[in-house]
Amino acid sequence: MTGDGAFAISQSDKRPMYLQIMEHMKQRVAVGDWAEGQAIPSIRQMAVDLQVSVITVKRAYLELEREGVIVTQQGKGSRVASTPGLGGRLREQELEQHLEQATRIAAMLGMRPKELEHRLREAGDRIAGEPVAEKGTI
Amino acid sequence: MSELAIRMSEVSKKYPYFTLDNIHLDVPQGQIMGLIGPNGAGKSTTIRILMGLVHPDRGEVRVLGQRMPQNQVAAKWDIGFASEDMRLYDSMTVGWHMHFIQSIYSNWDAAYAGLLLKRFGLPAMQKVKGLSHGQRVKAALLLILARRPKLLVLDEPTTGLDPVARHEILRELTGVMADEGRTILFSSHHTQDVEQISDQITFIDRGRIIDSMDKEQYLDRWRRLRLEVPNGIELPSLPGVIEVKRSGRLAVAIANAFVADLPNAYETSGARVHAVESMTLEEIFVANVEHSREEVEA
Amino acid sequence: MRGSVVGALILKDLRMWREAIVLSILGGVIALAVVQLANEVSVVVGSVCFFIALILVGTMIPLAGIVNERKNKNLAFVMSLPVSSIQYTTSKLLSSTGIYLIPWMALVAAGLLIIQVRGFPHGLIPLALILELLPFIGFAIITAAALMGESEGWGILANVVVQCSYGLTWFFISRVPEVMKYNNSPVIVWSPTDLRILGTEVAIIPLLLVLTYFVLSRKRDFI
Repeated sequence: MTGDGAFAISQSDKRPMYLQIMEHMKQRVAVGDWAEGQAIPSIRQMAVDLQVSVITVKRAYLELEREGVIVTQQGKGSRVASTPGLGGRLREQELEQHLEQATRIAAMLGMRPKELEHRLREAGDRIAGEPVAEKGTI
Repeated sequence: MSELAIRMSEVSKKYPYFTLDNIHLDVPQGQIMGLIGPNGAGKSTTIRILMGLVHPDRGEVRVLGQRMPQNQVAAKWDIGFASEDMRLYDSMTVGWHMHFIQSIYSNWDAAYAGLLLKRFGLPAMQKVKGLSHGQRVKAALLLILARRPKLLVLDEPTTGLDPVARHEILRELTGVMADEGRTILFSSHHTQDVEQISDQITFIDRGRIIDSMDKEQYLDRWRRLRLEVPNGIELPSLPGVIEVKRSGRLAVAIANAFVADLPNAYETSGARVHAVESMTLEEIFVANVEHSREEVEA
Repeated sequence: MRGSVVGALILKDLRMWREAIVLSILGGVIALAVVQLANEVSVVVGSVCFFIALILVGTMIPLAGIVNERKNKNLAFVMSLPVSSIQYTTSKLLSSTGIYLIPWMALVAAGLLIIQVRGFPHGLIPLALILELLPFIGFAIITAAALMGESEGWGILANVVVQCSYGLTWFFISRVPEVMKYNNSPVIVWSPTDLRILGTEVAIIPLLLVLTYFVLSRKRDFI
C-alpha cells in the first residue's frame, strides 16, 4: 500500500488525532477506495504513512474494530470488514451525525422542528439547482 | 511484554545549582518516548546520564540491556545520539563526516545516506562552518539515520528549525518506527511534535518527573470545562480538577483526571457546562507545570 | 568485526592537522638546510628561533587540538561514538604526541647536525639533549593538563606555568658545574649528573601518563 498523501492531521481540528484518523479511514470505505474485505496497511505502516505515533493509530484501529468497520487478525494484518453494504452504512452514519448536529444547532438558535424541516427542503432545492460538477462532494 | 530499550531507576545527580531527583524512566522497545519540560528542568542532564557521559550519584541505568556508564562502548554501537551540545567539525565537509562515520560503523547504508542528502537538501562538499543551523541539525541526524541504530537519543532535534525542516525530520523519525525493534527517545520544546509522534510522554520539571505515561491515555485525562456560574452558586471542589479560573459568571475548570461524570457533578451544583474541550499538549504543559510547582511549594 | 575507534580517531586527528604537519616537516627540512649553509651567528639565532617555535607548537597542539575540541562542542560528537573517555584520552595522547614528534625530532637532528657540521665540541651534546627535552616536557605537561581539566582554564594555566619555567630551568641547569664542565670537550662525556638530569626528564613522561589516566578514570562527568 502506498503512502497516504490525501490525509494530514489538522492542527486546527480540535478533535483528537485518533478520531481524525478514524474518520479518514471510514471515508475511504464510504467513497469506495477501500472495498469490503480489502486488506489495509498495518498499524505500523499507517503510522509511518501518516507520520503519527503508533499508539494513536493502534487506538484508531481498535475503535474501528469495535465499530465493526475493520477486522484485525494476529499475524495476518488488518482489512476492511466483509460486511456487505458497509460503505453505504458508513455514509448513513455520517448523515446521522450531520442531522444530529443540525438539530443541536437549531435548538441553540431556538428554532422549531417545523422550521428546521423547511430549511432542509430549501437546502435540497439549492443543491438540485447547482451545476453537476459541484454535486457529489462529500 | 516487550523488552525495555531504556531503564532508569532511582537516578539522582546533584549539582551546585540543580538536582536531578529520583528519576524513573522506562522506554519499551519499538516506541517513541517524548521528553518534555521547561528549560533547566533536567532533560539534557537525564539524556547525558543515559548516554554514559555523566555518572549519576545514585541509581541504575540500563540502555539496550547494558549498564551505563560502565558498558557505554558496547551500548553506543547501537545508539545514535544528537544534541544541541554537540557540533560537527567546522573545518570538515558533510561528505567527510559521512566517510568518517562509515569507517567506524559497518552497517552504514550508503544508498539511504544519499537519499537523505537529497531529501534534506545538504551539500556534501560544503564545510560544516558554512551550513545554516537547520542544515547542521539535519547533517547530524543524517549521520545517525544512515546507520539505522536500534536506539535514537535526540536532545531537541527540532528546536530552532523552520517548519519545512521540522517536517522533514519528523518524517524520517516516524519512518524509523516501521521497524518494531527500533526505539526513539527525544526531548523537545515543540509540544506539537511530541504530541504528534510520541507513544509515551514524560514530563520533567525542576529535576523531577511529574508524569510519565501513554500519550493517548494522558491526553484523555485532561479536559477543560467551560462553565457558566449563576450568581450565588459556589463551585464545588471536585476530585481531579486542579484549577478553576473565574471571570464574572464564566469559569474555566481544568481537570487532569477527567471522568465522564465530571460535567454532571458541576451541573448538579447549579452551574451550566457550556463545553468540555480536549486540551493540546501545549496547554497541558503549562497547566501541569504551574500545578506541580504549586504542589511542591504547598 | 567492528573497526578500531581509537584508530579512526587518530586518523581523524592526523587528517585534520594535515596542513600543519606538512608545514612542520617543511619547516624542519628548511631549518636543517639553513644549518648547513648559514654563518655562525645566524646558526645560533636560527637554533634559538627553532627552539622557541617548538615551545609554541608544543602549546598550540594541546590547546587547539584538545581544549578547542571540547570548547567547540566537538567532544560530545566524539563521545557519541562507541568509545570510552579513557580510549578517547589514549587516541589524543597518541595523535598529539605523534604530531609533535615530527618537529621535535627535527630539532634534535638539527642540534646534532649543527654540532657536527660546525665543528662544535661534542661535549655539548649532553647539554643539547637536556635542553631539547625541555620543550617536549612542556608539551607533555600542557597536554596532560588539557586532558585532565574540564575547562580551557587548566590548559592555559599549565601553559603559563610552563612558559615561566623555561627561564628558571635554564638558570638552574647552567649553574650545575657537572653539566657545563665538559662543554668544551671534543668527545662526548656523559657525567653522572647529566644522566641523572636526563633520567629525571625522561621519567616525567610516564609519571604524567599515569597521573592523566588516573585522574580520568575517576572523572564522574566527562562532559
